[in-house]
Amino acid sequence: MSKYSVIGARVRMIGGTEKVTGDAKYTSDLTLPGMLYGKILRSPHPHAKILNIDTSKAEKMIGVKAVVTGADTIGKKQGIWRRFPELCDEEILCRAKVRYIGDAVAAVAAVDEDTAEEALGLIEVEYETLPAVFDPMEAITEEAPQIHEGVELNINVNRHIEWGNVDEAFTKCDHIREDQFVCSSQAHMCMETHCALASFDYNGKLTVWTSTQSSYYIQVLLMGMLGMREGDIRVINPYTGGGFGSKFELDSAQFCASLLSKKICRPVKIVLTREEEFTATKRRTPMYYFLKLGAKKDGTLLAKEVRVITEGGAYTAMGATALYLTGFFSSFPYKYPNYRYDGYRSYTNTEPTSAMRGFGAPQSTFVGESQLDMMAEDLGIDPIEIRRKNGMTPDYVVPGQAFIQSCGLHQCLDKIEALIKERGKLPPNHGIGIAAYGFMSGGIFNWFDTPYSFSAAIVKINIDGKVDLFTGANEIGQGSNTTLSMICAEELGVKFEDIRIHSADTGICPPDLGGWGSRQTLMSGNAVKMAAADAKRQIMEFAAAKMGVNIVYDLDIKDQWIHLVDRPERGVSYFDVVKEAIRGRDGEVIIGRGHYTPHRKGMISPAYSFGIQAAEVEVDPETGKYKLLNVSTAHDSGQVINQVGIEGQLEGAIMMAGGYGYCEDQPMDKGKILNPSIADYKMIRSLDMPETKILEIDTYEPEGPFGAKEAGEGLTNPTAGAIGNAIYKAVGVRVNTLPITPEKVFRALREKESKQKR
Amino acid sequence: MSYHCPVCKKVSHAPLDLARHMIGRGDKVHRDWIYSKGFKYSELLLLQIKSFGGEGFKALAEVLEKETKVED
Repeated sequence: MSKYSVIGARVRMIGGTEKVTGDAKYTSDLTLPGMLYGKILRSPHPHAKILNIDTSKAEKMIGVKAVVTGADTIGKKQGIWRRFPELCDEEILCRAKVRYIGDAVAAVAAVDEDTAEEALGLIEVEYETLPAVFDPMEAITEEAPQIHEGVELNINVNRHIEWGNVDEAFTKCDHIREDQFVCSSQAHMCMETHCALASFDYNGKLTVWTSTQSSYYIQVLLMGMLGMREGDIRVINPYTGGGFGSKFELDSAQFCASLLSKKICRPVKIVLTREEEFTATKRRTPMYYFLKLGAKKDGTLLAKEVRVITEGGAYTAMGATALYLTGFFSSFPYKYPNYRYDGYRSYTNTEPTSAMRGFGAPQSTFVGESQLDMMAEDLGIDPIEIRRKNGMTPDYVVPGQAFIQSCGLHQCLDKIEALIKERGKLPPNHGIGIAAYGFMSGGIFNWFDTPYSFSAAIVKINIDGKVDLFTGANEIGQGSNTTLSMICAEELGVKFEDIRIHSADTGICPPDLGGWGSRQTLMSGNAVKMAAADAKRQIMEFAAAKMGVNIVYDLDIKDQWIHLVDRPERGVSYFDVVKEAIRGRDGEVIIGRGHYTPHRKGMISPAYSFGIQAAEVEVDPETGKYKLLNVSTAHDSGQVINQVGIEGQLEGAIMMAGGYGYCEDQPMDKGKILNPSIADYKMIRSLDMPETKILEIDTYEPEGPFGAKEAGEGLTNPTAGAIGNAIYKAVGVRVNTLPITPEKVFRALREKESKQKR
Repeated sequence: MSYHCPVCKKVSHAPLDLARHMIGRGDKVHRDWIYSKGFKYSELLLLQIKSFGGEGFKALAEVLEKETKVED
């Protein structure tokens, strides 16, 4: 029997019923009296000077209420790396220069969307086009045009990680491989496009309802870009239809709606079109990977050297973090004694690249796990065995970077090995490939320079014992409201139904960095647990006096029953005690407070998930077409909080990561994305989904609430690598560029045949 | 023994770490110092990008070892 009443149960998502019945109100559903509709004019050029913008005709159009350009801004550049001003490089409304097709140059507010759209056509922008560069390998040459003034070779950021003595270690290796890979881009494909409803009132206060992963970030970034005070801006996060890394930076909808509203003191709503979503937001970072791996004959990995050049697009965005994380996770989940990473992010005249679910780790996992299988084959070692020999274990220190406490990698290997054995001999042209991975449970880095704790929560106990939980954490469809309510209920000893959660409204909730980096279960969860414990302590103090026990620690609450720990039958009703406690405190409400910021936990994260995934494919050797038949995952996420939640995360991750491995891409012609519609952007749909299976692993993470750690992004990391390895097992060809389309498999098969003939 | 960044005084324990810091920081003041020692920042970067072995760092580290060492 579980020691928990709520944790580990199968709980239906809070708000799930509203979503499936259509009752949930998203930002795009909201209206306010006198509300106007906004549209944004975007650059058709990848690189050009703005010589003049004439808005006079648009302003005179009937129904148009306001037009803004860069001249209406305070001239600041924004960025989420606030500690490093040179990385805050995006004006959003460009004043002098555009740097990609889609850069915003003006915005209109009108009485309806059609009028606003028509008015955009009346704005005359005079450009002087400039030479442009689109490929990062070309952008870092002396001949390439400079995209941002003063940035040599267009190198936006570089990141380096090193430990051990790599050069010396390579001299001791029995076998060394050098390989190159190219990882493609990917669209976030949120069901809800970026949108914002902004209302600036006559008291100088701005309220913004928006689809975001971090209400707090948007509040603070708007503060900087509008020249307002933090407390004068309230950001509210209604129901949100996905984020996946695309919605925690200030976007053009949020900024332009706010700027327009501020100009005319009327509410303005902007909802990006699907085409804008594809071409004028952010996307997954394409990467060129150069890998060198050295091992002993027995499969012991001695040294790894990694060089990466990423396509940054026009602005920094979250690319600097992706660049660091891809380097860090290139060492995962193995014990490399000697490791060196050099990463470079290059500006290009393309849509900016940024965070996307996995944050650089899907790329590093694809290339690393592909190369590790090649190394295993070279050495004649089983892929499971080479991973077992080198895999991380609990209490492992990644030199200078991280301290791994819980690690269930070897349990995952055992489970997957048993599963593959159980599958037995495969039919012809079938193959099972595996990939190992790990991921962080929230980031330690404070590049945003927040003075607040990373997460905070308030628990208010009402006279009837019901609980209001306030958290700045953002529910974006991943189920954090449910998870945090479960943690609160368990800690407080009440039922899940007793909790009412209020989240991601900066006007009433304490600041929280938001829903990204797989941080909310662990970080927001710890804050909620602490707040619940604080409220519980206040209740228990009263209960202890009432029950005449000596020490408050003799008491506990479980299932709404306050009782002696050693004699559970001796107790009192939680509800009765709460009533008396509030009356006994002169009516003072019981409020618990909690906060969490990781300290002394290394450079990356306080805790890491681990896992192994096995993908089975069936390849048609004539055409290269292949089917993804089954994806089984042994995932170590510590104590599972909500079983339903982890199943949802896994299925969604396989769809997203399978698409990254199989078909999703954003081809361009001179900086123009060629498939900016759902009809043309190929992704895995419900009929393409393979069978999925979760293999449960039992671990406990000391840093996590009730032993929990992440189960969001890590699951996105292994699939592309597992698919690549499975195809190799099935038909003996390897494709080193993502996505591994049937066409590439076909070409590789033909090349293999012609080599054999020769 | 430690190595102090000649620009921002960041302390490193090895000249290679300090070279990594200076090239990695890459802002104008750090670049200016690198130029003053006869290096071209872009050439060091290209050296790093185009080959394994961290050659760009090593070149700068040789100078830093001589000029920024502090006996603790």
